[in-house]
Amino acid sequence: MKIFSSYHPVVLLCYFLSVTVMVMFTAHPVLLAEALLGGICFCTVLERGNQFFRNLAFYVPLFLMIAVVNPLFSHNGMTPLFFLNGNPVTLEAILYGIDIAVMLVAVMYWCKCYNIIMTSDKFIYLFGKAVPKISLILSMALRFIPLFKIQMKKVSVAGKAMGLYSSKSRVDKVRSGMRVFSVMVTWSLENAVETSDAMKARGYGLKGRSHFSLFRFTARDAVLLSLTILLTAIVLTGTGLGSTAFLFYPKITHMSFTPFSVVVYVAFGVLCFLPFLIEVKENMKWKYFVSKI
Amino acid sequence: MEIFRLENLSFTYPTNALKALDSLSITIESGDFVVVCGQSGCGKTTLLKMLKREMSPHGEKSGHIYYNETELSEITEHTAACEIGYVVQNPENQVVTDKVWHELAFGLENMGLPTSVIRRRVGEMASFFGIQEWFRKATSELSGGQKQLLNLASVMVMQPKVLILDEPTSQLDPIAAADFIATLQKLNKELGLTIILVEHRLEEVFPIADKVLVMENAKIIAYDEPREISGILQSLNTSHPMLKGLPSAVKIFSSLGKTEGCPLTVKEGRNFLAQNYSNDIFEMEASPFSPNSEIAVELHNVWFRYERDLPDVIRGVSFCVHKQETYCILGGNGTGKTTTLNVLSGLNKAYRGKIIINGKKIKDYNNNELYHHNIALLPQNPQTVFLKNTVRDDFTEISKVMQYDSQQQKQEIEEVTEQLSIHDLLDKHPYDLSGGEQQKCALAKMLLLKPKILLLDEPTKGIDAFAKETLKGILQDLKSQGMTIIIVTHDVEFACECADRCALFFDGEIMSEDIPREFFAQNNFYTTAANRIARQLYPKAVTCEDVVSLCLKNEVHHV
Repeated sequence: MKIFSSYHPVVLLCYFLSVTVMVMFTAHPVLLAEALLGGICFCTVLERGNQFFRNLAFYVPLFLMIAVVNPLFSHNGMTPLFFLNGNPVTLEAILYGIDIAVMLVAVMYWCKCYNIIMTSDKFIYLFGKAVPKISLILSMALRFIPLFKIQMKKVSVAGKAMGLYSSKSRVDKVRSGMRVFSVMVTWSLENAVETSDAMKARGYGLKGRSHFSLFRFTARDAVLLSLTILLTAIVLTGTGLGSTAFLFYPKITHMSFTPFSVVVYVAFGVLCFLPFLIEVKENMKWKYFVSKI
Repeated sequence: MEIFRLENLSFTYPTNALKALDSLSITIESGDFVVVCGQSGCGKTTLLKMLKREMSPHGEKSGHIYYNETELSEITEHTAACEIGYVVQNPENQVVTDKVWHELAFGLENMGLPTSVIRRRVGEMASFFGIQEWFRKATSELSGGQKQLLNLASVMVMQPKVLILDEPTSQLDPIAAADFIATLQKLNKELGLTIILVEHRLEEVFPIADKVLVMENAKIIAYDEPREISGILQSLNTSHPMLKGLPSAVKIFSSLGKTEGCPLTVKEGRNFLAQNYSNDIFEMEASPFSPNSEIAVELHNVWFRYERDLPDVIRGVSFCVHKQETYCILGGNGTGKTTTLNVLSGLNKAYRGKIIINGKKIKDYNNNELYHHNIALLPQNPQTVFLKNTVRDDFTEISKVMQYDSQQQKQEIEEVTEQLSIHDLLDKHPYDLSGGEQQKCALAKMLLLKPKILLLDEPTKGIDAFAKETLKGILQDLKSQGMTIIIVTHDVEFACECADRCALFFDGEIMSEDIPREFFAQNNFYTTAANRIARQLYPKAVTCEDVVSLCLKNEVHHV
């Protein structure tokens, strides 16, 4: 169990939303690089050791492909480096390709982390806040799917043991699948009737249903949430004032290094490395405790 | 103090002319443990559903039900949902949500309680039932016994005053069932909870019940303390069918024609025999096992595992079953019994060892050859063999596979329905049948495949004593027609009565095998209740009939 995933779902959702949305809407190389590095670090802590290299095997080729494809098709920019089939390959296009590749890979890394952290019960909880009925339906569906699968397997095995449609022909296989499926529909309805009886027996449908969850909003959730909001506000202010604006075409903008823009870079950097730092801190704490025993 | 009072309660289903309940008048005292029993279709379940307002079926009702002196239809919805708890037969169907903790909280959420209260009650209940180990698990990962315990806990969390349970242990294995019954007893004893339980495995619940209610044909024929029940039934009819379903001690007692001081448990039964009978004659005539020389199934050092990295499930099983023999494989949960049947029927492939079926290696059978005129497997849940909307359609489908022409098909179906007497069921939907009826129809479907070897997986699961008797008769019938039968079961009483040989399966192999009399006489724990009652006097008596006949012989001898 990773410590970051023990934060309250609302805090986690805010965090992931603010990071991914800002990454998707900026083209500033510094911000993107920070997001990519933060994402990779976080992902590496979340996953097992050798998964890191497996990820690289997927993301590095993807990165190169995007970085190479852009200059081949986009010929904007003021600084042609050489000509390919009579078309100019410009410095701006190459850099823009790399920039986009960084952005895409960073977003993918963050989504990966999101997937690991936001398990189904957190997701259901968040939905339940907004629309309680939907969260119950989701929960029931998640309960029903494994049940359905098991029963379907049993029915088809029983059929096989009777020598029904077990010939190799494809038509027969499809037909057998259809039959099993049709009886499974009946079975599901039959089940649903009993389940709905059981729900009614436990008072479902009475007025004023409340919503219970195991998640509790504690002080550390408040700290993380306010930190996220503060950092996001700084970065957004920077964006609003134009200090994170960055253009590649027709000519690359000069990187701004005013004190305020440095503040923005640092703020975003802190935001991106926050989960990684939290995990590292927790690990060190453990090691420290263990060493004291 | 009374908690339920029925006055002249009658009920008729809209589709049925006969009454499902016929002028019942009883009082159930608060804190009582009431066991309701009777043949299936006698109205037990209808009675229970009438007591739980939300579950009450539609139909014509007359008479009154009072709950705590108030008419049941007049209590508030809130009270009705909270104070009367109901647990259904199939553990799967009562679980609503995907997580254990959510399931526990479900009822309380419906009551609109705030999070702090729910948190507290859920925690309390989980501790009482010992659920903390799997509190955060998904409900689909639980075993059947755990699921049923969860169902009970998630009803108990609503703090009911009465708990109504409809055959809660019928889908559980004996150990999980005993655990569940013990939990019920704890609730009754420690919390004074009123419990109304329908059950057909009476061996465990009879001794702990305060009252037993016996129903027959929509009427109550007995409602008294457990010790009086056999006397009442006998006064109605000396060979009342319900007597068959009573616990062994009671059965032996009533067959001996006694009336006063009925024993209920094995211990009491033992004392009763010791005080009243001598053991001058204790030998049983042993009928030695004389097998048919032809061998139907032979397994030789068979090994099986589900996946390469998983441990072996079957470790070198070897046994052989002769033609026209009934072979029972007994053993606990998860020892590999069912897997053995699957390997035998070619559903799983053994990775080492030899399996010979009717003189031919299983590998040498082409895809469907094995299943036509050869081997048939009746799975644990008979429901899974039905694919059509009526039983008749299911039967005709099989006939198509067997390539009968329409004349022959009609004749075959006619023959099978005759043999199992299931004429009335042919046009019903398979899912509308009771457990015992489903079992019979599924068996009929198997018989249409004209098997020479019949494999049965837990055939007595979820069926009552009468259906068991019928099944026993059918199996004997089939055997005399030349069928070889292999049964995998937990039910020692059933195995004892219908097997030619019994085998104990443990840790992936057969540990011992013998004819039932020797097999059970030599087991100390894993044996029939009748044997446990009588073993000190008559070590070889394994069925109730054995014990009774020896007792009578000794009585005569003494005089």
